[in-house]
Parts: sequence; structure tokens; C-alpha cells
Amino acid sequence: MSRYVLKFQKTGYVKYTSHLDLLRIFKRSFKKSGLALRYSQGFNPHPKMGFAQPLSLGYSSLCELIEFETVADHEPSDILKKMQEALPEGLEPVSCHRFDQNIKSLAGEADSAVYTVWIPVPLQEADEWTREKAEAMAESYLDQTEITAMKRQKKTKKLAPVDIRKQIRSLHADVSESADHEKTLELTMLLDCGSTSNLSPELVLTTFCQFADLPVERYQVEIERKSLNFVNNLQF
Amino acid sequence: MNQSHTEKLNQLLKRVEKPGRYIGGEIHSVKKDPEKVKGRFAFCFPDLYEIGMSYLGMQILYKVINDRENMYCERVFAPAVDMEKLMRENKLPLLTLETKTPLSEMDIVGFTLQYEMSFTTVLNMLDLAQIPIRREDRDERYPLVIAGGPCAFNPEPLADFVDLFLIGDGEILLPDLIDLYAMCKEQGKSRQIFFQEACKMDGVYVPSLYDVEYNEDGTIKKFCKLYEDAPLPVKRAIIGNIEDLPFPTEPVVPFVEAVHDRSVVETFRGCTRGCRFCQAGMIYRPVRERSLDRIMDLAMEQLANTGNDELSLLSLSTSDYSRFEDLANALIPACKKENVSLSLPSLRIDRFAFDVLNQIQEYRKSGLTYAPEAGTQRLRDVINKGVTEADIYTSIEQALELGWSHIKLYFMIGLPTETDEDLDGIAEIAKKIVDLNYKINGSRGGRFRVTVSVSNFVPKSGTPFQWEGQNSAEEFARKHNYLTGKLHMKGVTFNYHDNATSSYEAVFARGDRRCGRLLEAAFRNGCRLDGWTEHFKPDAWEKAFAESGIDKTFYTERKRSFDEILPWDIIDSGVSKKFLRLEAERAYGAVTTQDCRHGCVGCGINRYVTCEMEGCL
Repeated sequence: MSRYVLKFQKTGYVKYTSHLDLLRIFKRSFKKSGLALRYSQGFNPHPKMGFAQPLSLGYSSLCELIEFETVADHEPSDILKKMQEALPEGLEPVSCHRFDQNIKSLAGEADSAVYTVWIPVPLQEADEWTREKAEAMAESYLDQTEITAMKRQKKTKKLAPVDIRKQIRSLHADVSESADHEKTLELTMLLDCGSTSNLSPELVLTTFCQFADLPVERYQVEIERKSLNFVNNLQF
Repeated sequence: MNQSHTEKLNQLLKRVEKPGRYIGGEIHSVKKDPEKVKGRFAFCFPDLYEIGMSYLGMQILYKVINDRENMYCERVFAPAVDMEKLMRENKLPLLTLETKTPLSEMDIVGFTLQYEMSFTTVLNMLDLAQIPIRREDRDERYPLVIAGGPCAFNPEPLADFVDLFLIGDGEILLPDLIDLYAMCKEQGKSRQIFFQEACKMDGVYVPSLYDVEYNEDGTIKKFCKLYEDAPLPVKRAIIGNIEDLPFPTEPVVPFVEAVHDRSVVETFRGCTRGCRFCQAGMIYRPVRERSLDRIMDLAMEQLANTGNDELSLLSLSTSDYSRFEDLANALIPACKKENVSLSLPSLRIDRFAFDVLNQIQEYRKSGLTYAPEAGTQRLRDVINKGVTEADIYTSIEQALELGWSHIKLYFMIGLPTETDEDLDGIAEIAKKIVDLNYKINGSRGGRFRVTVSVSNFVPKSGTPFQWEGQNSAEEFARKHNYLTGKLHMKGVTFNYHDNATSSYEAVFARGDRRCGRLLEAAFRNGCRLDGWTEHFKPDAWEKAFAESGIDKTFYTERKRSFDEILPWDIIDSGVSKKFLRLEAERAYGAVTTQDCRHGCVGCGINRYVTCEMEGCL
């Protein structure tokens, strides 16, 4: 038995496939590549594979990680090549690594993640949104001792206020301008991401826009995961 | 590609359920440069992605067209209600999945007609594509709108909307038609000239080349040709041998889980059993088989190319494949080796089937399904369903001994000559099965369940029952109540279908051109995706009947006389009307007709093509 981690990007239209659909795509692609995965024992055997951290539907990502176990041993470079051929456009394998047998799961080691959020600036406010204003806004946003976001509770399904300030490790803002003078605010944030503490960039997005008095529809916003960091010096 | 369309699409995708339905780019989806092809074809399935992607016919034609360098076939499915609403609000037209091109920019837009209740969705998709739904409102700037599939065997209800119908096997006809269209376009020929040339191909029906005159009683007086050389009737396109036809070994693998998410190989086309209610058994004649070697090759290639973990065989009756035992014996170990589960639908449950089912464990969970279709031997003889009660009980006894604990039974009600005695027969069969279980598994019977599902008989065109009256909704309701009383037994579950849908389905199954008014009114009243219980709007439909002045009972309950000109007489399916009438008369006498593998029964198809399976048993 051999254990691996495959790093891949998820960009373009394929970002609209759900976590479950992505699992099916991978299951098929492994099978198609002739990389026999180990199956769990029991009544309803499942192939042993899992994503480090699920990615929300609609997010693109430069650093998705999937761990899996194969029956036979393969060279990581061989796996990488086979998966590059098997996966559909938009799912681009970047590297493949052997993974320590002693680590329980990749998900358990996740610690933080970097996201970039692109928010279009409404035309009537385009003039006032400069790079300086954006930076200052991010600073004063972080200067708050508490940042209250409404978060849906897992059990009760009700929205409840939570303080997310401590889960935001850093936040930077920038403004870019397109050829036709449309401005985009770009937030880059390092957030808790893992089983002990996890913060969705959605909550930073809504609280920041409220704080900055920036009216925006969610569907105009693009979000990308840039990197995923782990404890114990795990790097991929 | 229009930039603002893809930008809009990108935003809408963030606001809808299962956006993966609308993105394309799946494994084996085909990318071509639209500038470099002569014919662009949009294959439209008038239902959601998950449904359409399970349909093998689309995968076949997708391959057949895209194998030709000068053509490009792209896919289009009906958007779900949430997506449709946003598309309309944002004026985003319906786009192809492959290149996100508006349908209005295609050369040909083609719909597959798999069931009548998808007709409103055909109109809705045209409308979403910003293409006028009526053919008379479209000039040559718009794409040619065509349709095919089983419901094209009675094309008349869609004759006001569709420019051209393809009747029969599509593998050769469809690319040939696209070729002809591209050639005419290149030579600057008008669409009228194209129609005149196209109608000379077998299987092409161009409604604008015909007019229909009616009698005072509403029946058809005659069909009139508006173009002298138009064929009347239009002969179905038949491919005599399917062995060497192209078949997808690299099917598009859906992103969003399809209802049947698996590899499929068609083992044969057609059926020789001759059940008198069954349209598929008539319109796909004769039986044409693929060789065992070819089936095995296709199956293994497809599995290797897709990574699918389920394989299914497609035909009208799995066990009727002439070398079925050899095939099953070859597939079972091959699938086991590849960790693929094998699914064999519509298996005739005999001794061999039990051997097979024992080996492909999956079936234990799902229970065993039988389709006696009618409750008494008399009525089964009427419909020519060659199943005896002795067959059923012997088989079920075996099943119980082998440990199956769930038996599903399918029946139809409202069949010609049916009386309440036949309904009693349904209850008796259920009762006997429950008793059998007590006999075998002791007085407590264990965890045992019989599910009785009853569907309403819809008379279909091109069958021996095409002249029959359908039961009224009230009569169906009475029968359902009657059966509910009779089937109130321990261990028996009773299911039945919605009555409104069956009568609307019946209207279009045997409708004429005037039913186009009804269809349009229903569409204007917001009907679409009618096959989905949650989207079906009976009130909007009833309003459409009133607005269009279409008398429902004329199409549903009225029994036609044998000499009436029927709307679908304009199509020659290959089975002669004389044979259908003979079969109807035999039905009234409860006289059965043999499976033609025991000898020709004279259906007429051999006028056009050789029946290889004739008399083979």
C-alpha cells in the first residue's frame, strides 16, 4: 500500500462542480488511469481518498489537495502524468507527493488558508476607491476588537452572531482598474482553516463590505483559494 | 462567442442549484473550432441535464456527427426552473454547453422526442433561445428546427413548430441531412429548395409540404401534398444491420450525477414479442442484434475510457438476445475483474436469470420485478403478453426459496376489454404471492413485501391498440379506488399514477395538427417540465384546453373506427396498418400471436428489410 497527495488547480467553469461531483470525477479518473485505489472494508466499500479541505461551490483554487491510497506502488511523477491525462479541463494536477503513513488524515493537519476575493466597485463609488483607501479600510477593519458576523449554526440551522476577529490572521486590500475604468477591490486574507478553527471567507466578505459601506451582490464576487497551510511543517 | 453572454452566465451560475449542469467541458465532450465546420448542430434534450445525459441515443448521435470533420454537434438541455427564471430576467439566451453559443446562431437545432410530456419543454427551449416557436414565424435567418425519436412517429402535434422530422434510425440519416443542409446553404439555395430535396430521403417528414383537410365530425378527410414529389406516406429510415454502426466508446461523462450514471451498450434494436400495447415493440422492428464479440469489445472499451463502475445493457428485452447466456457468462467475470457492477434491466426471471442474479449480488437489495401487465390470463392474451400465471408463480417460488424478500409487480389498467374481473385478478396475484411466502417462509413470513404498481393505459400510435378509447379520468379514479380496497392486505403496497398526466399524454400520443394550439396555449400558461410532479400544472393545462377549444375526449376516450384516416397515417413505420388491424381483431377474441422468432407473423416490415431473426427459434 502506498499513500499520496496530489495537488491540483480548479479553475474555469469546472469550479461550479460540487464537492461530491468532484469526488466522483476523481474516482473515475483514478479508475481510468489504471491506478487501483485501496478500498475500505465493510458492507459498502469506498475507495480510500479524501480532499484536504472541501472547497465551496463556485470558488476557484490554485492549491487543492487530495490524498489517496493505491494498491500497488507508483512513482509520484507517473501518477501526476496519468492524472493530467485523465482529468477534465480546468482540473490541472500540479504535483504529486508521497504521504506519511503515520498521519491520520490530511484534513486533520490543515491549519490556515489564503483566499483572494475580487469585489467589483460600483461605478458611482469608483473615484473614491483608491489603493490607499482600500489599505486603510483593511487596517481599520482589523483594528476592531470584535467583528460580529451572522453564521448559520450547524445544529439549529439558525443564524447566530459570532466573533470572527480572532480567526482572521491577516488581511490586505488592493484596487485594480481595467482598461474600461472599472475598478475591482482585491482582498487577500489568511484565515483559520481546519478542524479546530475554521473561517469561511464569506463571513469576511460580508462583514468587510458592511464595514466599508460597499454595496455588492454576492454573485458579482469571485473567490479563489491561493494556498492551504498545514501544521507540523507539512508542505505540498 | 459573445463576451457579455459568458459574463452573465458566470454570474447566474453563482445563483442557481447544481450549476454543474450548465458548464460543459466534461471528459470526452468535443471541442472544435466552429469557424472550421460547415454544419453546426445543437442536440437538444427537452429535460434536465441529469435526465438527458442518461440517454444513450444522444451519445450515439453526438459521436456520429462529431466523427465527421466538417460538422460540430453540441449539447443543450432544458434549464431547471431557477435557472430559467434568471435567464429570462437577465435576457440570457439558451446556450450550447460546448462553446456557449446561442442556439439562434446554429445551423440546425434538433430535439429528441422521448415522451409526450416533454413537448411543452421543446417550445420553452425555443423560446428561451429567442427563436420564434412557430415555424411560420421563422425566416431563413433562424436555424432549421428538427426533431426525431419515438414520439416523431406521430409528429402532428408538433407540426406547427418543427420544420422537419426524422423518422427511424438516425445514425446515417442525421449526418446526411446536415450535409445536405450545409450544401444547400453553401450553394445559396433557399430553404424551400432544401425541403424539397430533403423530403426525398427515407425518414424525412416536412410538415410544410402537406396540408390536412378535416371532416365535419373532426376526423381527418385527407392529407394533401403541397409539393408534388413529397412522399405520402413518409417511409421510416431503417438500417438493416447495426453491427458496424458507430457506437460511442468515449461517451461524455456527466459532471453532475445523471440518473443512470453508467456505461451502456445496446445489444439489439427491436423486439419480436408483439405485445399489442407497446409502441417500441412495433416501431423499432425488425430485431437487429450486435455480435457478442462486438458487445464485449464496446463494453470493455467504454469502461476503460470512462472509469465507470457500473455497466448496463440496453435493449427492449435483455434476455431475448440470442446468445444471452454466453453474453452473461462472459460479462459477469469481466466486470468482477474490473470492480464494475453489472446491471441487467428487464431480465426474464427464469432459472438462468437466478444463476446470473446470484452472481451479480446487487439485485438482492433491489428486489425482483415482474410485469404481468394484466390480472387475468384472458386479458394477458388480449394484449399478447406471453406470460402465464404458472410461469410467474414458479419463478417467484424459486425467488422466495433463494431468499428474495421484495417482489415488485407492474400492471396496466384501462386496457381494451378490461372488466372488474381483471382488476380482481391483480389482487389475486398479489394475494397468491403473499400466501406463497407464508408457505415457504413459515406462518410469520419474515420481512416480506409485495409492491403492486399500476399505470394507466395510454393508447399509442402505430400499435394494434391505436384505435382504442382511453378510460376517462373518472373511470381510472374508480379503478384505483376499487384496487385500493382489494389490495388492502398485509405485506402489500399499492402505487398508482396521476390521472391528468395520462390523459394529456394520450392527447398528444394520438393528436393531430390542431393539438399544436393546445400545446402552445399550455406553454403560454407556463407549462414546462411536465414530467416532473413538482412542475406539473394541471390547472394551466385545463385552461389551455379551454383556450384552444380542443376537446380532450375526442382524442382520449373516443374509439376510432378501423377505416378512419389517422393523423400518423402520414408516417409508414414499416408495420402495415392491415397487420395492426388484424392484431386488434385477434385481441378482441383473446387470440394470441406468436413471437415471430417462431415464424413470420406478417407484420409487413420484411417488405423493406430482411428479418434476420425470423423463425430462428
